[in-house]
Amino acid sequence: MLRNRLSAFLLGCVCLLALPAQAREYDDVIASGYIRIGLYQNFPPYSYLDKGTPAGVDVEIGKRIAQRLGVRFEPHWIVPDENLEDDLRNNVWKGHYLDKNDDQPLALKRLADVMMRVPYDREYSYMRDSTGVVVNEQVVMFGPYQSERWQLAYDSEKIARVSTMAVFQYHSIGVELDSLPSFYLTSGFQGRMREHTRHFASLPLAFAAMQRSEVDAVMGMRAEIDQQLGLAGSERYRLGENGFPGMGKQSWDLGMAIKHSNRQLGYAVEEVVDGLIRSDEMAGIYSAFGLQYELPAFYRDTAN
Amino acid sequence: MKRFSCIQGFAVTTLVAAMSMTGMTHAGVTDQDILNDQATTEDVVSYGMGLRGQRYSPLTKVNADTIKELRPVWAFSFGGEKQRGQESQPMVKDGVMYVTASYSRVFAIDVATGDELWQYDARLPDGIMPCCDVINRGVALYGDLVIFGTLDAKLVALDKDSGKVVWKKTVEDYKAGYSLTAAPMIVNGKVITGVSGGEFGVVGKVEAYDAITGDLVWTRPTVEGHMGYVWENGKKVEAGISGGEAGRTWPGDMWKNGGAATWLGGTYDADTNLMFFGTGNPAPWNSHMRPGDNLFSSSRLAINPENGKIVWHFQTTPHDGWDFDGVNELIAFDYQDGGKTVKAAATADRNGFFYVLNRENGDFIRGFPFVDKMTWATGLDEKGRPILNPAGRPGNPSETEGEKGEAVVSVPAFLGGKNWMPMAYSQDTELFYVPSNEWGMDIWNETTAYKKGAAYLGAGFTINALNDDYIGVLRAMDPKTGKEVWRYKNYAPLWGGVLTTKGGLVFMGNPEGYLLAFDAKTGEEKYKFNTGSGIVGSPITWEQDGEQYVSVVSGWGGAVPLWGGEVAKRVKHLNQGGTVWTFKLPKSAEVAAR
Repeated sequence: MLRNRLSAFLLGCVCLLALPAQAREYDDVIASGYIRIGLYQNFPPYSYLDKGTPAGVDVEIGKRIAQRLGVRFEPHWIVPDENLEDDLRNNVWKGHYLDKNDDQPLALKRLADVMMRVPYDREYSYMRDSTGVVVNEQVVMFGPYQSERWQLAYDSEKIARVSTMAVFQYHSIGVELDSLPSFYLTSGFQGRMREHTRHFASLPLAFAAMQRSEVDAVMGMRAEIDQQLGLAGSERYRLGENGFPGMGKQSWDLGMAIKHSNRQLGYAVEEVVDGLIRSDEMAGIYSAFGLQYELPAFYRDTAN
Repeated sequence: MKRFSCIQGFAVTTLVAAMSMTGMTHAGVTDQDILNDQATTEDVVSYGMGLRGQRYSPLTKVNADTIKELRPVWAFSFGGEKQRGQESQPMVKDGVMYVTASYSRVFAIDVATGDELWQYDARLPDGIMPCCDVINRGVALYGDLVIFGTLDAKLVALDKDSGKVVWKKTVEDYKAGYSLTAAPMIVNGKVITGVSGGEFGVVGKVEAYDAITGDLVWTRPTVEGHMGYVWENGKKVEAGISGGEAGRTWPGDMWKNGGAATWLGGTYDADTNLMFFGTGNPAPWNSHMRPGDNLFSSSRLAINPENGKIVWHFQTTPHDGWDFDGVNELIAFDYQDGGKTVKAAATADRNGFFYVLNRENGDFIRGFPFVDKMTWATGLDEKGRPILNPAGRPGNPSETEGEKGEAVVSVPAFLGGKNWMPMAYSQDTELFYVPSNEWGMDIWNETTAYKKGAAYLGAGFTINALNDDYIGVLRAMDPKTGKEVWRYKNYAPLWGGVLTTKGGLVFMGNPEGYLLAFDAKTGEEKYKFNTGSGIVGSPITWEQDGEQYVSVVSGWGGAVPLWGGEVAKRVKHLNQGGTVWTFKLPKSAEVAAR
C-alpha cells in the first residue's frame, strides 16, 4: 500500500519535471533554452500573426529579449479578458481555470514568463481593494518601454480639419466597443456626440469602415491609428490635431509584468529593454512599423 | 483530452436486465411526456419538473412524518480533477439519470445502482472566456436524444443509450463571447435555447431547432432593431424586426451590441401556448452612455413557440444601471380571485421586486419587494414600472474627478435579491418558495483601470452582507398579498434551486453543503443531510419501483466565489466537489412511519 502511494508520488514528480512548469524562475528559463513572452492575440501593430508568423512591435521586443538572454523566443498568446487584473491572473501568476490537461491532471498551467504591454502606473500597481488588499500583489509591473496616447484620424473628403472635438456633433466617428473612446464620446459632452458614435469590434474594422465612407473619422490608440494610416497610404486620411478635453487618462506608459516570485528574471529582462531604449534600437523598432515612438515618462524625465 | 465517451459493459448489462425485468417499453421521450411531466411522477423529463417550471411534485410518500427515514442510496462523483460549480438539475427517464457537470460534461447513471452508463466530454477549444464559472444547468430529453448546450456555444444531441453524438449545431461564435449554460427546453418537437454571453458586444436571442434533425427553425433577437428569421422549406425568411425598428429606446448604434442575453433559458405554458424568456442587462454597463429604456433588456418576453414572435414584453428594470439581469424564471400559475380564475405568472427579479403578471397579455397585476432593503427604487407604479431613487444610480464616469468616483450604496447588490436559482410554487399552499439573498454593494467609477493595453474606465464595487448572521433567506411568499409567510435564514448566500411537493415539503440545498427540507406551511426544518460540498444545483424527486427518490447535485462554485469583498470571507472555507447524491424512502420505512 505504502509502496503504491510512494510510486504514485514519484510519478507525480516526474510529470511535474517533464512538463512546462508555471512561473518558471530565471534559472529554469535559461536552462530550458526558451522564454515564453505573453502577447495579446490579434492586436496589430503590437502583436499579431502575419501569414502565420508572429509579428508586431511587442514580438520584436520579445525576440530581442530572448536573443540577449541567449534563449529561444516563444509566444504565449493572450485572449484578453474583461480587464487587466484578469489578464494578469490568467497569464502571469495563476493561470486560467479552463487550462486543464485531462491526460496529465498534475500538469501545471501554462503561463507567460514575461507579459508585454502591461501599463506602468504606480497608482495601478499599488491599488487596493475594499478590504485593503493590494489587488495585483502577485505580480511585479516593471520596465516601461513606450508611452501611449489617444489619437484621431479623419477622412479629409468629409471633414476639412479636426482641430477640436466639436465637429463630432455633426460628423460620425468610429470607435472600438467597450473602450475609453466609446465611453468618452457617448457619455461625455452631455451626450452631444452620442448619436454620431459608431461601434466596431476593433480599430482596424472602424478604419475600414472609414475607407468605405461609412464613418467620417476614427479614434483609437496612436499606434493603431499610425499603422492604419500607413497601410491606407493615402493623403485623404489624416491625423487630427485636436485635444481630448475632459478625458480622464490621455496618456499612459506601457511596460511588462512577471510573477512577483521571479524578480531575477525581471531584472534581466529590464536590463535588455533599458538597453534597447537607450541605444535608440527601440525607436527603430517602432519606425520600422511606421509608428511614432514616444519615450515613457521615466526616460523623458531622466534622459540627458 | 479525454475520450469522447465510453460505455461500461457491466453497467449496460445490469441496465438491460433491469429493463427486461420491469417489462416496460421504452419508446423514448415524447412531447406528451414533456407536457405531462409535472403530473407523471415516475420520471423527470423537463427542466423545472414541468415546463411551467413550478418545481412542484404531486408525490406524497416522503412527507413531514416519513422524511426522517429518507436515506442516501448512492453518491456519484463527476471526478476528473474538474471540480467547479455544479448548477445542474438531473433528469430521469426509464431508470436512467442524465445529469450535466461543469466543463460541459454529461453523465448517464443507472438509478438502481448508481453505476455510470456513459460519459460525454465536450472538446472545448482553447481561449474560450465564459464570464461566470464553467457551469451547466442540465439537459433536455427528446425521443432517444439527450440534448445540452456547451461552453463554446454549441447545441449537442447525444444518443441516450451510447452517449454518442447524433447532431451538433453551432448556436453562436464563442470567439465573440457567447456560450451556453442553461438547460434547453423542448416545446412541440423543437429544442428552444437562449444564449449566454460576456459583458460586452453580444446580442441576446432565442432560437428553435428541430429536435430530431437539429435544423434551425426560427431565431428571434431580444434587442430592439435586430431582424428575426424563420426557415421555410430550408429557406431563410425575414420574420420582422424585434421591437419594430432600431433606435426607439437606444441612442446611436448602441442597439447593435445591446446585450440582453437570454442566458437562463425559459419556461412554457401550454394553456396560452407561450414561452417566457427573461433577458439580461443592457450593454455597456455604464447606463449614462445609453439613455432610454433599452428594450428588450432586463425584461420578460412572451414568445410564440411556432415562429418566435414576441407576443408581449414586460420590462422589470428600464434603463438598467445596476446589472439587474431580468433573466429570472417566470412561472405560470392560476389562482382564484372572487370566484374567478386568474391566469397569472410570477417572477422574483434580481432588482428585489416580486411581480405577478397576467400571462395572457403581460399586464401588471401586482408587485412588491421580497427583500428587506432596497435603495435604487422606492416602489412600483400602477403599470409595474419602478419609481426610481435618483441618488441610487451609479455616477457618470465622464464626470468622475480624480482617481475614484464617489461610491453609491446600492441594495440589492448586482448579484440580485434573487439570482438564477429557481424558486418553486406549491399548488397546495399556493405559496412561492423564493431562494433570496440580503446583500448590497458599494459601486464607484474606477479611473485607474486598463484593458488590453489601453486606459479604461471600470466600475469598482464591493459586495457587503446586510446582516451579521445571514445573507441567504428562503422565503415563503404569498403572491396574492405580498406577505411573507415564513423565512429560513442562511449564513452563506443561497445559490441553489428549490423543490416543493404535495407531501407538504420544501427542499433546498445550501452552500454549507446541506440538503434541507422544510414544512411547506410553517418553515419548520424537517431534514438535514451534509453532502460534503456546497449545493448550487436544483433538487428533483420522482418515483421508481414504488419508492420515492430525491436527488441533488453537490459541488460548490458558480458566480459567488468569483467576487471578492466581505462576502468572500463567508464562503472561502467551503470545499469544492462534484457529486450526485440520491436518496430514497425505502418501502419498509414508509410502512414503519405510518
